[in-house]
Amino acid sequence: MNDNKCMKKILVVEDEEGLRLLYKEELEAEGYEVIPARNGKEAIQKLEEGKPDLIILDIVMPVMDGMETLGRIVGKERKIPIILNTSYPGYRQDFMSWAADAYVTKSVDLGDLKKKIRELLNKGK
Amino acid sequence: MKKALAMVLAGGRGERLYPLTRDRAKPAVPFGAIYRIIDFTLSNCLNSDIRRIYVLTQYKSISLHRHIQLGWTILSAPLGEFVGLIPAQQRIDEHWYQGTADAIFQNIYTLQHEKPDLVLILSGDHIYKMDYRKMIAFHLEKRADLTVAAIRMNRGLSREFGVMEINEGWRIIGFQEKPEEPKTIPGDPEGILASMGIYIFNTEVLVRRLIEDARSDSNHDFGRNIIPAMIEKDQVFAFDFSQGDQGGRGYWRDVGTIDAYFEASMDLVSVTPHLNLYDPHWPILTYQLPYPPAKTVLEEEGRVGTALNSILSNGCIISGGSVKRSILSPRVMVHSYAEVEDSILLEGVDVGRHAKVRRAIIDKEVQVPQGMEIGYHLDEDAKRFTVTGSGIVVVPKWIKL
Repeated sequence: MNDNKCMKKILVVEDEEGLRLLYKEELEAEGYEVIPARNGKEAIQKLEEGKPDLIILDIVMPVMDGMETLGRIVGKERKIPIILNTSYPGYRQDFMSWAADAYVTKSVDLGDLKKKIRELLNKGK
Repeated sequence: MKKALAMVLAGGRGERLYPLTRDRAKPAVPFGAIYRIIDFTLSNCLNSDIRRIYVLTQYKSISLHRHIQLGWTILSAPLGEFVGLIPAQQRIDEHWYQGTADAIFQNIYTLQHEKPDLVLILSGDHIYKMDYRKMIAFHLEKRADLTVAAIRMNRGLSREFGVMEINEGWRIIGFQEKPEEPKTIPGDPEGILASMGIYIFNTEVLVRRLIEDARSDSNHDFGRNIIPAMIEKDQVFAFDFSQGDQGGRGYWRDVGTIDAYFEASMDLVSVTPHLNLYDPHWPILTYQLPYPPAKTVLEEEGRVGTALNSILSNGCIISGGSVKRSILSPRVMVHSYAEVEDSILLEGVDVGRHAKVRRAIIDKEVQVPQGMEIGYHLDEDAKRFTVTGSGIVVVPKWIKL
Protein backbone atom coordinates (compact mmCIF):
# COMPACT_ATOMS: atom_id res chain seq x y z
CA MET A 1 0.00 0.00 0.00
CA ASN A 2 1.08 3.50 -0.78
CA ASP A 3 2.35 5.53 2.19
CA ASN A 4 0.02 8.41 1.50
CA LYS A 5 -3.04 6.23 1.85
CA CYS A 6 -1.92 5.03 5.26
CA MET A 7 -1.25 8.55 6.42
CA LYS A 8 -3.66 9.38 9.24
CA LYS A 9 -5.42 12.71 9.02
CA ILE A 10 -5.67 14.91 12.11
CA LEU A 11 -7.95 17.90 12.33
CA VAL A 12 -6.28 20.50 14.57
CA VAL A 13 -8.73 23.11 15.88
CA GLU A 14 -6.75 25.94 17.45
CA ASP A 15 -7.21 29.71 17.30
CA GLU A 16 -3.62 30.73 18.04
CA GLU A 17 -1.68 30.79 14.80
CA GLY A 18 1.69 30.05 16.44
CA LEU A 19 0.37 26.95 18.13
CA ARG A 20 -1.40 25.82 15.00
CA LEU A 21 1.89 25.98 13.09
CA LEU A 22 3.75 24.22 15.87
CA TYR A 23 1.23 21.37 15.92
CA LYS A 24 1.36 21.14 12.14
CA GLU A 25 5.14 20.85 12.05
CA GLU A 26 5.42 18.44 14.94
CA LEU A 27 2.58 16.18 13.86
CA GLU A 28 3.71 16.11 10.23
CA ALA A 29 7.13 15.09 11.47
CA GLU A 30 5.40 12.15 13.15
CA GLY A 31 3.95 11.15 9.80
CA TYR A 32 0.41 12.54 10.13
CA GLU A 33 -1.44 14.72 7.68
CA VAL A 34 -2.67 17.87 9.46
CA ILE A 35 -5.83 19.78 8.58
CA PRO A 36 -5.86 23.11 10.46
CA ALA A 37 -8.98 24.97 11.56
CA ARG A 38 -9.10 28.31 13.39
CA ASN A 39 -12.32 27.77 15.34
CA GLY A 40 -15.23 25.39 15.81
CA LYS A 41 -17.21 26.67 12.90
CA GLU A 42 -14.33 26.16 10.52
CA ALA A 43 -13.73 22.71 12.06
CA ILE A 44 -17.27 21.62 11.29
CA GLN A 45 -16.90 22.83 7.70
CA LYS A 46 -13.64 20.91 7.33
CA LEU A 47 -15.27 17.87 8.87
CA GLU A 48 -17.84 17.92 6.11
CA GLU A 49 -15.15 18.19 3.41
CA GLY A 50 -13.26 15.09 4.49
CA LYS A 51 -13.28 12.84 7.50
CA PRO A 52 -10.20 13.04 9.70
CA ASP A 53 -9.07 10.06 11.77
CA LEU A 54 -8.75 12.15 14.91
CA ILE A 55 -9.60 15.64 16.16
CA ILE A 56 -7.57 17.85 18.48
CA LEU A 57 -9.83 20.49 19.91
CA ASP A 58 -8.94 23.67 21.78
CA ILE A 59 -11.69 24.96 24.10
CA VAL A 60 -11.33 28.73 24.40
CA MET A 61 -11.73 30.03 20.84
CA PRO A 62 -13.62 32.83 19.13
CA VAL A 63 -16.60 32.25 16.79
CA MET A 64 -17.45 28.80 18.18
CA ASP A 65 -15.74 27.45 21.28
CA GLY A 66 -14.53 23.91 21.75
CA MET A 67 -17.28 22.75 24.12
CA GLU A 68 -20.02 23.81 21.71
CA THR A 69 -18.07 22.25 18.84
CA LEU A 70 -17.66 19.01 20.75
CA GLY A 71 -21.43 18.72 21.13
CA ARG A 72 -21.96 19.32 17.44
CA ILE A 73 -19.30 16.84 16.41
CA VAL A 74 -20.61 14.11 18.70
CA GLY A 75 -24.03 14.60 17.12
CA LYS A 76 -22.60 14.22 13.62
CA GLU A 77 -19.55 11.99 13.70
CA ARG A 78 -19.81 9.62 16.60
CA LYS A 79 -16.78 7.49 15.98
CA ILE A 80 -13.92 9.94 15.37
CA PRO A 81 -11.74 10.16 18.48
CA ILE A 82 -11.51 13.63 19.99
CA ILE A 83 -8.79 15.06 22.25
CA LEU A 84 -9.64 18.19 24.18
CA ASN A 85 -6.51 20.28 24.39
CA THR A 86 -6.65 23.29 26.64
CA SER A 87 -4.63 25.33 29.12
CA TYR A 88 -7.51 25.20 31.59
CA PRO A 89 -7.95 22.00 33.59
CA GLY A 90 -11.24 23.34 35.02
CA TYR A 91 -13.21 22.30 31.94
CA ARG A 92 -12.97 18.72 33.12
CA GLN A 93 -15.95 19.57 35.35
CA ASP A 94 -18.10 20.24 32.30
CA PHE A 95 -20.31 17.27 31.50
CA MET A 96 -19.82 17.80 27.80
CA SER A 97 -16.05 17.45 28.18
CA TRP A 98 -16.67 13.82 29.15
CA ALA A 99 -17.73 13.21 25.58
CA ALA A 100 -14.10 13.63 24.51
CA ASP A 101 -11.87 10.57 24.40
CA ALA A 102 -9.03 12.36 26.17
CA TYR A 103 -8.31 15.61 27.93
CA VAL A 104 -4.75 16.88 27.55
CA THR A 105 -3.56 20.08 29.21
CA LYS A 106 -1.56 22.28 26.85
CA SER A 107 2.19 22.25 27.17
CA VAL A 108 5.15 23.28 25.01
CA ASP A 109 6.22 19.68 25.16
CA LEU A 110 3.85 17.76 22.90
CA GLY A 111 4.91 14.40 24.32
CA ASP A 112 1.66 13.71 26.18
CA LEU A 113 -0.43 14.79 23.24
CA LYS A 114 1.47 12.59 20.80
CA LYS A 115 1.17 9.63 23.13
CA LYS A 116 -2.59 10.08 23.36
CA ILE A 117 -2.84 10.41 19.58
CA ARG A 118 -0.99 7.11 19.09
CA GLU A 119 -3.12 5.41 21.74
CA LEU A 120 -6.42 6.52 20.25
CA LEU A 121 -5.45 5.79 16.66
CA ASN A 122 -4.28 2.32 17.63
CA LYS A 123 -7.47 1.68 19.56
CA GLY A 124 -9.49 2.29 16.43
CA LYS A 125 -7.55 -0.29 14.44
CA MET B 1 -31.69 15.49 51.30
CA LYS B 2 -30.00 14.89 47.98
CA LYS B 3 -30.69 17.44 45.29
CA ALA B 4 -33.02 15.92 42.74
CA LEU B 5 -34.05 17.28 39.36
CA ALA B 6 -37.02 15.89 37.46
CA MET B 7 -36.98 15.69 33.68
CA VAL B 8 -40.43 14.92 32.29
CA LEU B 9 -40.48 13.52 28.77
CA ALA B 10 -43.51 15.13 27.17
CA GLY B 11 -42.82 14.76 23.49
CA GLY B 12 -45.00 11.72 22.87
CA ARG B 13 -47.09 11.89 19.73
CA GLY B 14 -49.71 9.49 21.05
CA GLU B 15 -50.64 8.41 17.53
CA ARG B 16 -53.04 5.72 18.72
CA LEU B 17 -55.03 8.40 20.54
CA TYR B 18 -55.80 10.19 17.28
CA PRO B 19 -57.86 12.38 16.80
CA LEU B 20 -57.49 13.50 20.44
CA THR B 21 -53.82 14.05 19.58
CA ARG B 22 -54.50 15.78 16.28
CA ASP B 23 -53.90 19.20 17.83
CA ARG B 24 -51.93 18.30 20.96
CA ALA B 25 -49.20 16.06 22.31
CA LYS B 26 -50.35 13.12 24.40
CA PRO B 27 -49.44 14.72 27.77
CA ALA B 28 -51.80 17.60 26.90
CA VAL B 29 -54.80 15.35 26.23
CA PRO B 30 -57.62 16.25 28.65
CA PHE B 31 -58.51 13.59 31.23
CA GLY B 32 -60.96 13.46 34.12
CA ALA B 33 -62.95 16.54 33.03
CA ILE B 34 -60.52 19.23 34.17
CA TYR B 35 -57.06 17.70 34.03
CA ARG B 36 -54.46 17.06 31.34
CA ILE B 37 -52.58 13.78 31.43
CA ILE B 38 -49.33 15.50 32.44
CA ASP B 39 -50.98 16.98 35.56
CA PHE B 40 -50.70 13.61 37.28
CA THR B 41 -46.94 13.36 36.88
CA LEU B 42 -46.40 17.01 37.81
CA SER B 43 -48.66 16.69 40.85
CA ASN B 44 -46.71 13.59 41.90
CA CYS B 45 -43.53 15.67 41.75
CA LEU B 46 -44.91 18.48 43.90
CA ASN B 47 -46.54 16.11 46.37
CA SER B 48 -43.18 14.31 46.61
CA ASP B 49 -41.40 17.60 47.35
CA ILE B 50 -39.63 17.60 44.00
CA ARG B 51 -39.78 21.21 42.98
CA ARG B 52 -37.21 21.50 40.26
CA ILE B 53 -38.84 20.17 37.16
CA TYR B 54 -38.14 20.45 33.46
CA VAL B 55 -40.71 19.39 30.91
CA LEU B 56 -39.14 18.39 27.59
CA THR B 57 -41.51 18.99 24.72
CA GLN B 58 -41.30 18.33 21.02
CA TYR B 59 -44.29 17.65 18.74
CA LYS B 60 -47.47 19.74 18.78
CA SER B 61 -46.38 21.48 21.93
CA ILE B 62 -48.42 24.71 21.86
CA SER B 63 -51.34 23.34 23.84
CA LEU B 64 -48.98 21.76 26.39
CA HIS B 65 -46.91 24.93 26.74
CA ARG B 66 -50.00 27.01 27.29
CA HIS B 67 -51.34 24.65 29.93
CA ILE B 68 -48.07 24.60 31.82
CA GLN B 69 -47.48 28.31 31.58
CA LEU B 70 -50.99 29.10 32.77
CA GLY B 71 -51.40 26.34 35.32
CA TRP B 72 -47.99 25.44 36.62
CA THR B 73 -46.25 28.74 37.22
CA ILE B 74 -46.94 28.25 40.89
CA LEU B 75 -43.51 27.52 42.33
CA SER B 76 -41.12 29.98 43.88
CA ALA B 77 -38.29 30.97 41.56
CA PRO B 78 -36.35 32.78 44.33
CA LEU B 79 -36.30 29.50 46.28
CA GLY B 80 -34.86 27.74 43.25
CA GLU B 81 -38.11 25.99 42.40
CA PHE B 82 -39.56 25.83 38.91
CA VAL B 83 -41.52 23.95 36.31
CA GLY B 84 -39.49 24.85 33.25
CA LEU B 85 -40.41 24.14 29.65
CA ILE B 86 -37.70 23.05 27.25
CA PRO B 87 -38.77 22.71 23.64
CA ALA B 88 -36.45 20.63 21.43
CA GLN B 89 -33.63 23.07 20.66
CA GLN B 90 -31.37 21.25 18.22
CA ARG B 91 -28.40 22.62 20.10
CA ILE B 92 -26.30 19.49 19.80
CA ASP B 93 -27.89 17.85 16.86
CA GLU B 94 -29.80 19.05 13.85
CA HIS B 95 -32.63 16.58 14.20
CA TRP B 96 -35.39 16.09 16.72
CA TYR B 97 -35.08 13.67 19.62
CA GLN B 98 -34.31 10.21 18.34
CA GLY B 99 -35.19 8.32 21.50
CA THR B 100 -35.80 8.84 25.19
CA ALA B 101 -32.08 8.81 26.00
CA ASP B 102 -31.33 11.24 23.17
CA ALA B 103 -33.91 13.65 24.62
CA ILE B 104 -31.92 13.80 27.86
CA PHE B 105 -28.52 13.83 26.14
CA GLN B 106 -29.56 16.78 23.99
CA ASN B 107 -30.20 18.65 27.24
CA ILE B 108 -26.87 17.82 28.82
CA TYR B 109 -26.16 21.55 29.18
CA THR B 110 -29.22 21.83 31.40
CA LEU B 111 -27.93 19.02 33.63
CA GLN B 112 -24.60 20.83 33.73
CA HIS B 113 -26.30 24.03 34.77
CA GLU B 114 -28.43 22.42 37.50
CA LYS B 115 -25.83 19.95 38.75
CA PRO B 116 -28.31 17.79 40.69
CA ASP B 117 -27.17 14.73 42.68
CA LEU B 118 -30.01 12.68 41.24
CA VAL B 119 -32.01 12.91 38.05
CA LEU B 120 -35.55 11.61 38.08
CA ILE B 121 -36.67 10.80 34.55
CA LEU B 122 -40.42 10.63 34.12
CA SER B 123 -42.94 10.28 31.34
CA GLY B 124 -45.72 12.82 30.88
CA ASP B 125 -47.90 10.11 29.33
CA HIS B 126 -49.06 8.12 32.34
CA ILE B 127 -51.80 8.43 34.94
CA TYR B 128 -50.91 7.28 38.44
CA LYS B 129 -50.17 8.60 41.91
CA MET B 130 -46.74 7.84 43.27
CA ASP B 131 -44.55 9.11 46.07
CA TYR B 132 -41.17 9.46 44.37
CA ARG B 133 -39.53 10.07 47.77
CA LYS B 134 -39.96 6.38 48.56
CA MET B 135 -38.22 5.42 45.37
CA ILE B 136 -35.40 7.88 46.07
CA ALA B 137 -34.98 6.44 49.58
CA PHE B 138 -34.76 2.95 48.07
CA HIS B 139 -32.25 4.15 45.48
CA LEU B 140 -30.02 5.62 48.18
CA GLU B 141 -30.38 2.65 50.49
CA LYS B 142 -29.33 0.27 47.72
CA ARG B 143 -26.50 2.60 46.69
CA ALA B 144 -27.84 2.19 43.18
CA ASP B 145 -26.58 3.93 40.05
CA LEU B 146 -29.99 3.51 38.46
CA THR B 147 -33.36 2.52 39.85
CA VAL B 148 -36.28 1.61 37.58
CA ALA B 149 -39.86 1.60 38.85
CA ALA B 150 -41.58 -1.73 38.23
CA ILE B 151 -45.18 -2.86 38.20
CA ARG B 152 -46.64 -6.34 37.89
CA MET B 153 -48.46 -6.90 34.61
CA ASN B 154 -50.00 -9.96 33.02
CA ARG B 155 -47.51 -11.76 30.83
CA GLY B 156 -49.79 -11.42 27.81
CA LEU B 157 -48.93 -7.70 27.74
CA SER B 158 -45.17 -8.27 27.53
CA ARG B 159 -44.89 -6.84 24.03
CA GLU B 160 -45.88 -3.42 25.30
CA PHE B 161 -43.28 -3.14 28.06
CA GLY B 162 -39.70 -3.40 29.09
CA VAL B 163 -39.61 -6.58 31.18
CA MET B 164 -37.20 -6.97 34.09
CA GLU B 165 -35.67 -9.98 35.72
CA ILE B 166 -34.46 -9.44 39.28
CA ASN B 167 -32.65 -11.31 42.05
CA GLU B 168 -33.85 -11.56 45.67
CA GLY B 169 -32.39 -8.15 46.49
CA TRP B 170 -34.33 -6.52 43.61
CA ARG B 171 -31.18 -6.03 41.59
CA ILE B 172 -32.01 -6.18 37.89
CA ILE B 173 -30.18 -9.07 36.23
CA GLY B 174 -32.01 -9.09 32.91
CA PHE B 175 -33.95 -6.56 30.84
CA GLN B 176 -35.90 -7.40 27.69
CA GLU B 177 -37.58 -4.64 25.70
CA LYS B 178 -41.07 -5.65 24.51
CA PRO B 179 -40.31 -9.39 24.43
CA GLU B 180 -42.62 -12.04 22.98
CA GLU B 181 -41.30 -14.64 25.41
CA PRO B 182 -40.91 -12.69 28.65
CA LYS B 183 -39.14 -13.79 31.81
CA THR B 184 -41.95 -14.15 34.35
CA ILE B 185 -41.84 -13.34 38.05
CA PRO B 186 -40.47 -16.30 40.08
CA GLY B 187 -43.43 -18.06 41.67
CA ASP B 188 -45.88 -16.11 39.47
CA PRO B 189 -45.80 -17.67 35.98
CA GLU B 190 -48.54 -15.35 34.70
CA GLY B 191 -46.86 -12.17 35.92
CA ILE B 192 -44.09 -10.01 34.54
CA LEU B 193 -42.26 -7.10 36.11
CA ALA B 194 -42.82 -4.23 33.70
CA SER B 195 -40.85 -1.00 33.54
CA MET B 196 -43.01 2.08 34.12
CA GLY B 197 -40.54 4.36 32.35
CA ILE B 198 -39.64 6.00 35.68
CA TYR B 199 -35.91 6.17 36.32
CA ILE B 200 -33.68 7.59 39.04
CA PHE B 201 -30.06 8.06 38.06
CA ASN B 202 -27.03 9.30 39.88
CA THR B 203 -26.21 12.27 37.70
CA GLU B 204 -22.62 11.37 36.95
CA VAL B 205 -23.46 7.83 35.87
CA LEU B 206 -26.33 9.13 33.76
CA VAL B 207 -24.11 11.59 31.92
CA ARG B 208 -21.39 9.02 31.27
CA ARG B 209 -23.83 6.42 29.98
CA LEU B 210 -25.64 8.96 27.81
CA ILE B 211 -22.37 10.01 26.24
CA GLU B 212 -21.33 6.42 25.58
CA ASP B 213 -24.71 5.79 24.02
CA ALA B 214 -24.61 8.98 21.95
CA ARG B 215 -21.27 7.92 20.53
CA SER B 216 -22.38 4.44 19.54
CA ASP B 217 -24.82 2.96 17.03
CA SER B 218 -27.97 2.86 19.05
CA ASN B 219 -31.66 3.72 19.09
CA HIS B 220 -30.76 6.09 21.94
CA ASP B 221 -33.50 4.68 24.08
CA PHE B 222 -33.41 3.98 27.83
CA GLY B 223 -35.30 0.71 27.56
CA ARG B 224 -33.63 -0.66 24.48
CA ASN B 225 -30.06 0.57 24.96
CA ILE B 226 -29.08 2.31 28.18
CA ILE B 227 -30.57 -0.10 30.74
CA PRO B 228 -29.45 -3.35 29.04
CA ALA B 229 -25.92 -1.90 28.76
CA MET B 230 -25.94 -0.77 32.40
CA ILE B 231 -27.07 -3.98 34.07
CA GLU B 232 -23.74 -5.53 33.06
CA LYS B 233 -21.54 -2.97 34.74
CA ASP B 234 -23.55 -0.75 37.09
CA GLN B 235 -25.74 -1.15 40.15
CA VAL B 236 -29.23 -1.24 38.65
CA PHE B 237 -32.25 -1.95 40.83
CA ALA B 238 -35.99 -2.30 40.38
CA PHE B 239 -38.32 -0.46 42.74
CA ASP B 240 -41.65 -2.11 43.46
CA PHE B 241 -44.37 0.41 42.57
CA SER B 242 -46.62 -0.93 45.32
CA GLN B 243 -44.10 0.47 47.83
CA GLY B 244 -44.63 3.98 46.50
CA ASP B 245 -48.18 3.78 45.17
CA GLN B 246 -50.04 6.67 46.74
CA GLY B 247 -53.45 5.29 45.87
CA GLY B 248 -52.66 1.85 47.26
CA ARG B 249 -54.54 0.11 44.46
CA GLY B 250 -51.77 -0.40 41.94
CA TYR B 251 -53.35 2.16 39.62
CA TRP B 252 -51.12 3.04 36.67
CA ARG B 253 -52.49 3.64 33.20
CA ASP B 254 -50.83 4.35 29.90
CA VAL B 255 -54.12 5.29 28.15
CA GLY B 256 -52.30 4.66 24.87
CA THR B 257 -55.43 3.97 22.82
CA ILE B 258 -58.89 5.51 22.57
CA ASP B 259 -60.44 2.40 24.10
CA ALA B 260 -58.00 2.47 27.04
CA TYR B 261 -58.63 6.19 27.44
CA PHE B 262 -62.39 5.67 27.43
CA GLU B 263 -62.21 2.86 29.94
CA ALA B 264 -59.91 4.79 32.29
CA SER B 265 -62.22 7.80 32.06
CA MET B 266 -65.37 5.78 32.75
CA ASP B 267 -63.74 4.36 35.87
CA LEU B 268 -63.99 7.87 37.31
CA VAL B 269 -67.81 7.92 37.27
CA SER B 270 -68.07 4.66 39.20
CA VAL B 271 -69.02 4.88 42.89
CA THR B 272 -65.49 4.08 44.09
CA PRO B 273 -63.06 4.76 41.24
CA HIS B 274 -59.72 3.00 41.12
CA LEU B 275 -58.17 6.43 40.78
CA ASN B 276 -59.04 8.51 43.82
CA LEU B 277 -59.06 12.22 43.00
CA TYR B 278 -60.31 13.17 46.44
CA ASP B 279 -57.25 12.46 48.60
CA PRO B 280 -56.48 15.69 50.48
CA HIS B 281 -52.89 14.49 51.01
CA TRP B 282 -52.30 14.02 47.32
CA PRO B 283 -54.01 16.85 45.44
CA ILE B 284 -53.96 16.72 41.66
CA LEU B 285 -53.34 20.24 40.42
CA THR B 286 -54.35 21.67 37.08
CA TYR B 287 -55.23 24.91 35.35
CA GLN B 288 -58.83 25.99 35.18
CA LEU B 289 -60.60 29.27 34.69
CA PRO B 290 -63.03 30.43 37.36
CA TYR B 291 -66.29 29.62 35.61
CA PRO B 292 -69.47 29.65 37.67
CA PRO B 293 -70.52 26.37 39.32
CA ALA B 294 -72.27 23.64 37.35
CA LYS B 295 -76.02 23.96 37.22
CA THR B 296 -79.06 21.85 36.31
CA VAL B 297 -82.28 23.63 35.36
CA LEU B 298 -85.85 22.95 34.33
CA GLU B 299 -88.26 20.52 35.91
CA GLU B 300 -91.28 20.25 33.65
CA GLU B 301 -93.21 17.32 32.30
CA GLY B 302 -90.72 15.48 29.98
CA ARG B 303 -88.20 18.28 30.25
CA VAL B 304 -86.05 17.76 33.34
CA GLY B 305 -82.46 18.85 33.57
CA THR B 306 -80.70 15.85 35.20
CA ALA B 307 -77.23 14.45 35.63
CA LEU B 308 -76.79 10.96 37.15
CA ASN B 309 -73.57 9.08 37.88
CA SER B 310 -71.67 11.81 36.11
CA ILE B 311 -68.89 14.31 36.62
CA LEU B 312 -69.80 17.93 35.94
CA SER B 313 -67.26 20.75 35.79
CA ASN B 314 -67.64 24.43 36.39
CA GLY B 315 -69.52 26.38 33.77
CA CYS B 316 -71.70 23.42 32.75
CA ILE B 317 -75.45 23.91 32.34
CA ILE B 318 -77.79 20.96 31.96
CA SER B 319 -80.88 22.73 30.78
CA GLY B 320 -83.79 20.36 30.42
CA GLY B 321 -81.62 17.56 29.03
CA SER B 322 -80.44 14.34 30.59
CA VAL B 323 -76.88 13.22 31.31
CA LYS B 324 -76.00 9.73 32.51
CA ARG B 325 -72.62 8.09 33.26
CA SER B 326 -70.73 10.86 31.52
CA ILE B 327 -67.84 13.22 32.10
CA LEU B 328 -68.37 16.88 31.27
CA SER B 329 -65.45 19.30 31.07
CA PRO B 330 -66.02 23.00 31.81
CA ARG B 331 -68.62 25.04 29.87
CA VAL B 332 -70.58 22.13 28.43
CA MET B 333 -74.21 22.91 27.57
CA VAL B 334 -76.85 20.20 27.27
CA HIS B 335 -80.10 21.62 25.96
CA SER B 336 -83.69 20.50 26.43
CA TYR B 337 -84.72 16.95 25.51
CA ALA B 338 -81.11 16.08 24.65
CA GLU B 339 -79.69 12.79 25.96
CA VAL B 340 -76.05 12.17 26.79
CA GLU B 341 -75.02 8.69 27.95
CA ASP B 342 -71.65 7.00 28.62
CA SER B 343 -69.81 9.85 26.97
CA ILE B 344 -66.96 12.26 27.48
CA LEU B 345 -67.69 15.85 26.45
CA LEU B 346 -64.69 18.16 26.46
CA GLU B 347 -64.65 21.87 27.14
CA GLY B 348 -67.20 24.06 25.42
CA VAL B 349 -69.23 21.28 23.78
CA ASP B 350 -72.85 22.22 23.11
CA VAL B 351 -75.48 19.51 22.69
CA GLY B 352 -78.56 20.88 20.92
CA ARG B 353 -82.20 20.12 21.66
CA HIS B 354 -83.33 16.55 21.03
CA ALA B 355 -79.78 15.51 20.14
CA LYS B 356 -78.63 12.11 21.40
CA VAL B 357 -75.05 11.19 22.23
CA ARG B 358 -74.02 7.70 23.35
CA ARG B 359 -70.58 6.09 23.89
CA ALA B 360 -68.80 9.04 22.33
CA ILE B 361 -65.87 11.31 23.03
CA ILE B 362 -66.58 14.81 21.75
CA ASP B 363 -63.57 17.08 21.60
CA LYS B 364 -63.55 20.77 22.47
CA GLU B 365 -65.96 23.39 21.18
CA VAL B 366 -68.04 21.05 19.02
CA GLN B 367 -71.67 22.08 18.53
CA VAL B 368 -73.92 19.06 18.18
CA PRO B 369 -76.90 20.35 16.20
CA GLN B 370 -80.53 19.88 17.24
CA GLY B 371 -81.76 16.35 16.78
CA MET B 372 -78.42 14.85 15.71
CA GLU B 373 -77.61 11.33 16.89
CA ILE B 374 -74.04 10.27 17.62
CA GLY B 375 -73.19 6.73 18.67
CA TYR B 376 -76.49 5.21 17.56
CA HIS B 377 -75.66 4.36 13.95
CA LEU B 378 -71.98 3.40 13.93
CA ASP B 379 -71.87 2.81 10.16
CA GLU B 380 -73.04 6.36 9.58
CA ASP B 381 -70.72 7.73 12.28
CA ALA B 382 -67.74 5.95 10.74
CA LYS B 383 -68.19 7.97 7.56
CA ARG B 384 -67.35 11.18 9.42
CA PHE B 385 -65.68 10.26 12.67
CA THR B 386 -63.21 7.83 14.17
CA VAL B 387 -65.02 4.74 15.49
CA THR B 388 -62.92 2.34 17.56
CA GLY B 389 -63.07 -1.45 17.58
CA SER B 390 -65.28 -1.41 20.64
CA GLY B 391 -67.60 1.14 19.09
CA ILE B 392 -66.49 4.39 20.71
CA VAL B 393 -67.12 7.38 18.43
CA VAL B 394 -64.61 10.24 18.55
CA VAL B 395 -65.69 13.62 17.23
CA PRO B 396 -62.66 15.84 16.63
CA LYS B 397 -62.14 19.36 17.90
CA TRP B 398 -63.82 22.26 16.08
CA ILE B 399 -65.54 20.08 13.48
CA LYS B 400 -68.59 21.80 11.95
CA LEU B 401 -71.63 19.58 12.09
